Amino acid sequence: MEPLTWFGAYGSSFAPLLMVLITLAVVCGLCAALLAFTNSSPATSFSLFNGIAVLFLLLVGFSYVYSGLSGAEGGGMAPSKLGWFLATIAGLGVFAAMLARFMGTFFDDPAAFAGTIFKWAIYGVGAVVALWLLVTLVWQNAAHKEWLAGLDPAAMPAAEEISQNEAVSRLHSRGIMASIFVRFTPVWISLIVLFAVSIQFKRRLGLYGKLFDSVIGMIGFGLVMFWVFTAVYVGLFDWIATHPPLEQVSGMKNKVPGTPLRGATAEQYPFYLLGGDPLARDIFSRMVEGSVIVIRIAPMATLFAFMVGITLGLPAGYYGGKLDTFLSFLANLILAFPVILLFYLLVTPEIVLTGLPQYMALVLFLFPLIFFGVLINSRFRTQPQKNYMWLAIVLIPLFLVYASAINDPGANSKIRFWPLDFFDIPGGILVVFVSVVFVNSPTVFRIVRGLALDIQTRDYVAAAQTRGERPWYIMLWEILPNARGPLIVDFCLRIGYTTILLGTLGFFGLGLPPESPDWGSTINEGRKLLSIYPHPALPPAFALLTLVLGLNLLADGLREESLKD
Amino acid sequence: MSKIHDYSGPILEIDKLSISFFTRLREIPAVMDFSVKVAPGEAVGLVGESGCGKSTVALGVMRDLGKNGRIVGGSIKFKGRDMERMSADELRDIRGNEIAMIYQEPMASLNPAMRIGKQLMEVPMIHEGVSEHEAYQRALEVVTDVKLPDPERMLRSFPHQLSGGQQQRIVIAMALMSKPSLLILDEPTTALDVTVEAAVVELVKDLGKKYGTSMLFISHNLGLVLETCDRICVMYSGEAVERGDIETVFNNMQHPYTQALFRSIPLPGADKNSRPLVAIPGNFPLPHERPPGCNFGPRCDYFEAGRCDADFVPMADVNGDGEHETRCLKFREIDWNAPIAKAEQKGKAEVGKVVLKMDNLKKYYEVAANALFGGGEKRVVKANETLSFEARESETLAIVGESGCGKSTFAKVLMGLETATDGEILLDGQNIEHTPIENRDTKTVADVQMVFQNPFDTLNPSMTVGSQIMRALDIFGIGANDAERRQRMLELLDLVKLPRAFADRMPRQLSGGQKQRVGIARAFAGGARIVVADEPVSALDVSVQAAVTDLLMEIQRNEKTTLLFISHDLSIVRYLSDRVMVMYLGHVVELGSTDDVFAPPYHPYTEALLSAVPIADTNVEKKHIVLEGDIPSAMNPPPGCPFQTRCRWKDRVPGGLCEKEVPPVRQLTEGHQIKCHLADAELATMEPVIKLAENKAAE
Repeated sequence: MEPLTWFGAYGSSFAPLLMVLITLAVVCGLCAALLAFTNSSPATSFSLFNGIAVLFLLLVGFSYVYSGLSGAEGGGMAPSKLGWFLATIAGLGVFAAMLARFMGTFFDDPAAFAGTIFKWAIYGVGAVVALWLLVTLVWQNAAHKEWLAGLDPAAMPAAEEISQNEAVSRLHSRGIMASIFVRFTPVWISLIVLFAVSIQFKRRLGLYGKLFDSVIGMIGFGLVMFWVFTAVYVGLFDWIATHPPLEQVSGMKNKVPGTPLRGATAEQYPFYLLGGDPLARDIFSRMVEGSVIVIRIAPMATLFAFMVGITLGLPAGYYGGKLDTFLSFLANLILAFPVILLFYLLVTPEIVLTGLPQYMALVLFLFPLIFFGVLINSRFRTQPQKNYMWLAIVLIPLFLVYASAINDPGANSKIRFWPLDFFDIPGGILVVFVSVVFVNSPTVFRIVRGLALDIQTRDYVAAAQTRGERPWYIMLWEILPNARGPLIVDFCLRIGYTTILLGTLGFFGLGLPPESPDWGSTINEGRKLLSIYPHPALPPAFALLTLVLGLNLLADGLREESLKD
Repeated sequence: MSKIHDYSGPILEIDKLSISFFTRLREIPAVMDFSVKVAPGEAVGLVGESGCGKSTVALGVMRDLGKNGRIVGGSIKFKGRDMERMSADELRDIRGNEIAMIYQEPMASLNPAMRIGKQLMEVPMIHEGVSEHEAYQRALEVVTDVKLPDPERMLRSFPHQLSGGQQQRIVIAMALMSKPSLLILDEPTTALDVTVEAAVVELVKDLGKKYGTSMLFISHNLGLVLETCDRICVMYSGEAVERGDIETVFNNMQHPYTQALFRSIPLPGADKNSRPLVAIPGNFPLPHERPPGCNFGPRCDYFEAGRCDADFVPMADVNGDGEHETRCLKFREIDWNAPIAKAEQKGKAEVGKVVLKMDNLKKYYEVAANALFGGGEKRVVKANETLSFEARESETLAIVGESGCGKSTFAKVLMGLETATDGEILLDGQNIEHTPIENRDTKTVADVQMVFQNPFDTLNPSMTVGSQIMRALDIFGIGANDAERRQRMLELLDLVKLPRAFADRMPRQLSGGQKQRVGIARAFAGGARIVVADEPVSALDVSVQAAVTDLLMEIQRNEKTTLLFISHDLSIVRYLSDRVMVMYLGHVVELGSTDDVFAPPYHPYTEALLSAVPIADTNVEKKHIVLEGDIPSAMNPPPGCPFQTRCRWKDRVPGGLCEKEVPPVRQLTEGHQIKCHLADAELATMEPVIKLAENKAAE
C-alpha cells in the first residue's frame, strides 16, 4: 500500500496559491512591523521611500518563491509549472488591485498598507485551506469510483475487497491532514453547537457570554474546549483514537506519518496517521488519549488547590495578625522549596511506603468538605432546619467520595478503615494529584489573602459587621463573591501551569507509570531519538502547547471582558 | 520653546463643541453644542452634576479624550488658534506650558517615586530648556508662593510624606511653574477637608490675580464657584443650559434647572420643618436615553408638552447683549420671582426620653512598632478623648469634624466593632461599651444601625438588592419564613420610595441615590432606633442630596429614630439637626443646640469651620478666616489644647495656657458647652461669621 501524503490527492492544486499567500503574509507582516517600528508618523518624502522599499521587498519575495518552489520537482505534491505561473500572476494581480484601491494609503502610510495586505493574505490562507478541505471531502470517493469503473465486470473482486479498497482509497484522497480532521468530527460538531448556542444567548450569560465579544477569548475558549471535548469523546466513547494507546504493531517502529499498517485486518485503521513511536505504537492515538489524563487531573487539582487556598487565605486576610503571619510563613516555606525536588521526594518509593502521599491526601482532600460545610452553615445559621437539610445534601455525598478517595485496600496502603470504598485512585495519579495541589495552593492562598485584605475595607463588609454577621459569613458571602473576577482568571492560568507541571512530571518519569500516554511522558520518550526521528515528540508537544495557549488566551479574554462593562 | 505672545483676544474660545464616546454598542454623546469664552485673567466656573460632561470639556480642551472619545463637531480655539489643526508636537508644547490642569486627586497626579523638587523642575526644563540651577530657583520661588512651610525641605521630600492639602498645593505649584495662560481646575478641592479646601481656594484666587492666569474652574459646588469665579456656565446632561456673569446668574437665573438646583441646596434660611428643600424630581437621564427637545424637560416644573419636547433648543440671549444666555424656550414666560410653592409644613417631632448616653468615652489604639514579635516601642493613638453626650428619641444630633477627628472611631465603638478603652455607653440604661457585637443580643444590634457614606460601596455588588435586605431581616429574626421576609422587604422598599421591581436588580443597575436608599432600607430593617448616618449624602449629587435627606427626615419623624448625623458639611447640618457636636482630634470642642452653635460665641474651631463652608448665596456676607496648616496627627497630638496649633485666638489667652493644659469643658448656657480657655469677655467679642445682607434680612 502507498503511504498517505500530507494533503491528499487535491493538495497539489492548492499548494501554489497557498505558498503565494503565505509568502505575501510573511513579507507584508515583516514590512508592516519594520515600518511601524522605524517611524510611526512618516513625513511625505520618507513615506515615498518606504513605499518603494515595500514594493522592492515584495518583488524579492515573489521572485524568491517562484525560483525556490518552481524548481522543486518530484514528491507527491509538486506543483505544475503552469499552476505556479498562474498563481504568481494571480497574487501580483491581487496586489496590484489592492495597490490601485489603496493608492492614497500606500504612499501616506505604507505600514498601514502592508498591514492591510497582511490581514487579507491571512484571510486568503484561511479561505484556501477551507476550500481545499471542502474539495477534498466532497470528492474523496472519486478515486474509488474510477477504480470500480475500470474493473472488468466479469471478474469483480469480492465485496470485502471492494469495501477495503474504498476505505483505503478514500484515505489516500484525503491525506493525513484531512483524515485527522475527519477523526475529530464529533469534536467539531460539538464546538459548532456550543459556539452557536453561546453566541445566540451571549447577552444573558454574564461574564461567560461577554467572552464571545472578544476574539482572543473566543480563540482561547475554542482551543480549550477542543481538548475538553476530545478528552470526553476519547475517555467515554473511545471515538477519536484510531488504535488502542498501548497496541504495538510489528514493523511500525519509528515509522513516519502516513505509513500503512502491514497486514491490517478489516477492523483495524489501515494507517498510522502521525507515524509510530519507538515501541511501534500509534502516536496520534496516544496524543488524543493523553488529553484524557490531562483534562481529568489538571482542572480537578487546580480546583482542590483553590479550595485549600481560599479556606486558608480568607481568614489570613480577614483576621490578619498572628494567624496571617503564621500561614503566610508556611506558604512562603512551601514556595521556597524547589518544586522538582519536592516531587522527587514525594514519589520516592521509600517515602510512598511510609504513606506520606496518603496522609497528605487525607488533609488536602478534607478542605472541600470544610469549605462547603462552612459555606452552608454561615449562610443558614439563623434557619437551623434549612441548614441541616443543606448540610446533609452536600456533605454526605462529599464525605463518601472523600472516604473512598483516601481509602485504598492495597497491600502497602496505610489507610483502609472505611468499608464503603466505591473507587480507588491509582497510586501514581494520587501522588501526582497530591503534589500538584500541594505546590499550587500557597500561590492561591496569597492571591486570596491579598484580595481579602483589599475587599474587607469596603462599606458593605462594615455593614455586614454592624448587623452582627459572623466572620465566616462575611468572608465567604461578602468577600469571596466579589473577588471572583481575578480568581476566575487565575483559575484558567493555573490550569495551564498545572498542565505544564503534569507534563514536567511525566517528562521526568515521576508519578505516572511509564507506559502512560500523557503528553509529558510521550514527549520524553520521543526526545530520546529526536535528532533522527523528530515526529514522535512533536504531536504531544503541539497538543500541550495548544491547550496551554488556549487557557492563557481564555484568561486574557476573561480579564479583558471583566474590566469592560 | 516660546509662548504665543501678543494676543489680546479671549484665551480660550470653545464654539459649539460636541464630543462623543464610542462603545461597542453605540455612540454616546457626552457634550453637545457647548460654547464658552474665557477672557485673559478671567475665571469661568463650569457647574453641573456628575455625568453632565464638565470634565469631558476639560479633557477635550487638553485633547486627551482617550481611545474612544472624539470631537465630532465645533471648534476649540486657544489664543485664536484652532487646536483641531495642531499637530501632536504643537499640542505637546501647549500642554503643561500654556495650559495646565489640576485634577481632583492630588496623590494621583504626583509621581510617587520622584522627589517633589525633581517633578517641579522638569516642567521648565522640558518646556523652556532652562538650566537645572535656574529650574531649581523657579521651583523654590513657586513653592514659596503656594505658602508651603520650609520650601527647601519640601523640594527634597517625596509626595507620600506630605498631607493631602500640601500635595494639592504642590500640584498647583507644578501647574504654575511654566506660568500658563490657562489653568483648568477639575474639582481641585473635592478630596480635601473643608478648612483645607478654604485655604486652597484662597490660594488659587490670589495666584490667579498675581500671575494673571485665566481659569476654567470645574466644580459641582455652587458656593465654591461663587467664591472663585467671575462668570459661570451651568451644564446639564451634556449641554450648557445657562451662561452669564456670576452675580446675574445667581440673582436672576433664567433656566429652570439652575433654579431647581438652588432650591435643592440648603442655604441659610432653609429649615427642615418650615421651609424644606425641594428635590428635583426624576433621575438624571443616561447619555443614550436623553429625551427629545429639552434635556431637562421630563424633570421640569414648567414643561409644556409639544413645545419643550419638539425640537433641539438653542441658546437664547436674555438681554440681547450676549452676556447672559439660557437654553430655555419659556424663560420669558416664567415668573422667576414667584415664591416656592409651599411644601406641606411638617410639625416638629417631639423629642423624647434619653436613649443613648455617652459618658467620658475613651478609645485608644496601641500601635506596636513590630507586629511579629510584639517588641519595640508602643505608640498610643488617642482616637477619642472624654466623649460625653446624650441623644434623645426623635432627635437629630449632628457630629461635625474633619477627617481624623475621631468620628468614625466613635461610630465603631458605638456599633460594637471596637470596645471602649474607658468610659461608658448606656443604651436604654444598659452598659454596652465593653460588649463586642458578637456578644450583643439581636435586639441591641438591630437597634443601633448605620448608613454609610459611599453609595457605590455600601451594597454587596454580587447580591440582588432584595436578598441583601432579606438577609438583614433574617439576621434580625424578623419574619417566620422567606415569604414573610420578602413581603417585609417589599414594604421596606416602599418606605424608601423605591419601586418594588428593584428587589431583583443588582446594585450596579442602580444610581447612587437609589443605592443610598437601599442602604437606608437595610439599616431600618430591624426597626432601628438609633441610626448613625456617616456622611450619607456627601457623595451624592446636589439634586439627589435633598431627596435622600428628606427621606431620612421623614423616616425619622415616623419611626421616632435617634439620628446621629456625621458630616463636615455645615450647611446641611444647620438644615436638619437639632443639636450639633463639633469634634476636633478626638475631643468634643463644642456641643449645643443648632442655634447656639451657629451663633456667637463660638469655639475658635467652629468659627473657622463656619467660615470655610462655601455658601451659594450672593446675599450672604462671610467673615474670612483661613486656618493655616493641617490637622495634627492623632499619633502625635500637640500638648495642651488640641486646636492650639491653628487657633487664631490663642494669643488672647494669657500665660500660654493653651500650650500647657487641655481646656476644661465649660457650660456657656443651658445645654451649650465648649472646651476653650478663652475668657467670657473675649468670647463676647466674637462676631457672627455668616451675615445675611440687609435687604434680604428685611424681607
